[in-house]
Amino acid sequence: MSTPRTSKRSESGSMSPGSAPGQTLAKAPTHIQGLDEILEGGLRRGRTSVVTGGPGSGKTLLSMEFLYRGTLAGEPGIFVGFEEPLDHLRQNAATLGWDLAGAEQDRALGMVDGRIRPDTLISGDFSLKGLLASVSGMSRDMGARRIVIDALEVVLRLYDSPRQVRNELHFLNDWLRSEGLTAILTIRPVSGSVPSFQDFFDSMADCVVCMDARVENQLSKRRMRVVKYRGSGFGSNEYPYVITGAGLHIAPISTVELRHKALGEKMSTGLTRLDEMLEGGFRRASCVLFAGLPGTGKTMLASTFANAACNRGEKVLYVGYEESEPEVIGNMRAAGLELEPHVASHRLMFMTVMPEAMGPEEHLIRVMNRLDHFAPRHLIVDAISACVRMGGRHAAFDFLVRLLNQCKERGTTVILINQLSGITGHMEISGNDISSIIDAVLFLSYVEGAGEINRVIQVLKARGSGHSNQKQEFVITDGGICILEPYTGGGEVLTGAARKAQEARDAVEVQRLALDIQAKEVELERLRLLQQETADRRRRQAEMRRADLQGIEEPNQSSGRDRP
Amino acid sequence: MNRTTDEPAADHSDRDVFFRFRLFVAGDEPNSKKARETLFRLAETYMRDRSEIVVVDILEDYQAGLRHHVVAIPTLIIEAPAPERVIVGSLSDEDKVLAILGLSHNGDRK
Repeated sequence: MSTPRTSKRSESGSMSPGSAPGQTLAKAPTHIQGLDEILEGGLRRGRTSVVTGGPGSGKTLLSMEFLYRGTLAGEPGIFVGFEEPLDHLRQNAATLGWDLAGAEQDRALGMVDGRIRPDTLISGDFSLKGLLASVSGMSRDMGARRIVIDALEVVLRLYDSPRQVRNELHFLNDWLRSEGLTAILTIRPVSGSVPSFQDFFDSMADCVVCMDARVENQLSKRRMRVVKYRGSGFGSNEYPYVITGAGLHIAPISTVELRHKALGEKMSTGLTRLDEMLEGGFRRASCVLFAGLPGTGKTMLASTFANAACNRGEKVLYVGYEESEPEVIGNMRAAGLELEPHVASHRLMFMTVMPEAMGPEEHLIRVMNRLDHFAPRHLIVDAISACVRMGGRHAAFDFLVRLLNQCKERGTTVILINQLSGITGHMEISGNDISSIIDAVLFLSYVEGAGEINRVIQVLKARGSGHSNQKQEFVITDGGICILEPYTGGGEVLTGAARKAQEARDAVEVQRLALDIQAKEVELERLRLLQQETADRRRRQAEMRRADLQGIEEPNQSSGRDRP
Repeated sequence: MNRTTDEPAADHSDRDVFFRFRLFVAGDEPNSKKARETLFRLAETYMRDRSEIVVVDILEDYQAGLRHHVVAIPTLIIEAPAPERVIVGSLSDEDKVLAILGLSHNGDRK
């Protein structure tokens, strides 16, 4: 017996926080990961819920988990199975670590084999009263609180007419009500079955949950949806779920509250210049996207951040869909970044897996399990562009939206790397239509010019933060990323050799201008001199004229003197 | 869906064959009552002095129902002669019941 089973009966009803007025429904928590959130506390106590779904959708598993976890919480339960041999169920449960046999010994769990013997012959009318009478007795003896009736459609197939089926269901319904057990009926939708059949289930059940397992793009997808829940609110989305090593795991998304969560304090990106561009760095619990072409240094930038975070003593989970752990570590080492010590000190954890290996649900749940157990402050996903390989664009979108929401709820910073496939515009930068959830975008690109390609980084968006939009050149050196001072000559960012050439050109220009000024000054002087010259000449002319005039007058005076 | 036996039933008209029945009922509900009446009448008619009937009321002994995997009521388990057979229902189709038992109308009517 691995898990202690409490003997006290759990009388706890609704799990709904605060139990708002009007929300008086007593609920029995299923204790299944994620399901109680969707059901806003659990299933209605003392009422009947129906779980439908095709073969392999996990109906039996869900109902068995409901019972088993119920026994652990002190609520004995009874399982009535019409389809699977009980030993199969016990073995399957054992692989999930559920000790059904132990629970049976403790009289916390009763298992009833409701299979009709294959050699059974039928003559005349009959009913399920016998079985129900047996279960009633068992329930009394055990003090059962929960019951599961699995694969009801199997036994209902024995009946010839819809009328008989209806009668039997009515009887079952009455019986369940009178027993006061919290019940789950599982039923596989029978194609071409009597229409009243489904109607009846819908009217009889307080809560109907549909489970759906399908294969799309060669990947299995499992979805769950609450169709109705009388008198209770419920999450109405389709929720992905997976069967993990410990049971069912449903990934609820509660998008409503998420957007309102405030972003945290700023923290260093690991690069002083980048911190300056972002006026202090990334904000905690935000979602930052690094977008760029292959080889622009996205992984390097993310690793630089991881390194800085680990140095601060914060844990980082690195989810890699492109490269293996040794590859990433090796590449970073070549660029002067040592991640190995952080892995050794359990601050940095890698989780690398091929996107094709499983469907989006399983990917999601795996990451979520790591988030639960490793509890990192920051998550890096390298790269979201690879998520499409989980089963298409829609699958990737689902995966990311749910993952981001989970991280926002947990207050985990997310660094998403998006590899752009070609020379694309900014349109595709956020990728997978998730731009609304993303708080900051760093765009890494190349600038080509003068036969050389250089890397530039630019902050395209930074929610709740001032930032510089200026493109900045950066280089990857032996000592990691180094962002250079911004340079904006001629309205364009200049990099590398072009930058040097421009600088040289500029130097000449300055010289030319200096000479120009000099020349202009000379000209000015010349004009000044010229002006002075002209003025002098005019003065001289004026003097000469005056002299002439005096000359005319003087001879007149002298002649008068000469002829007395 | 009514299952009928596909292999021809053995002929049990022979007087040496002994029948042992266990009939599961739920109190006096109509189908149980009808099955009980039918079984006793058939035994009297076709298996006089060579049959034994145990009637189990599941309302009184639910454990017995679980032990014998009784799902529907009424359920008749033919424990002897071998092999064991199970008939579910009120036994209203007597010809069918007799065929299952390997007895015929016109045969041994002692």
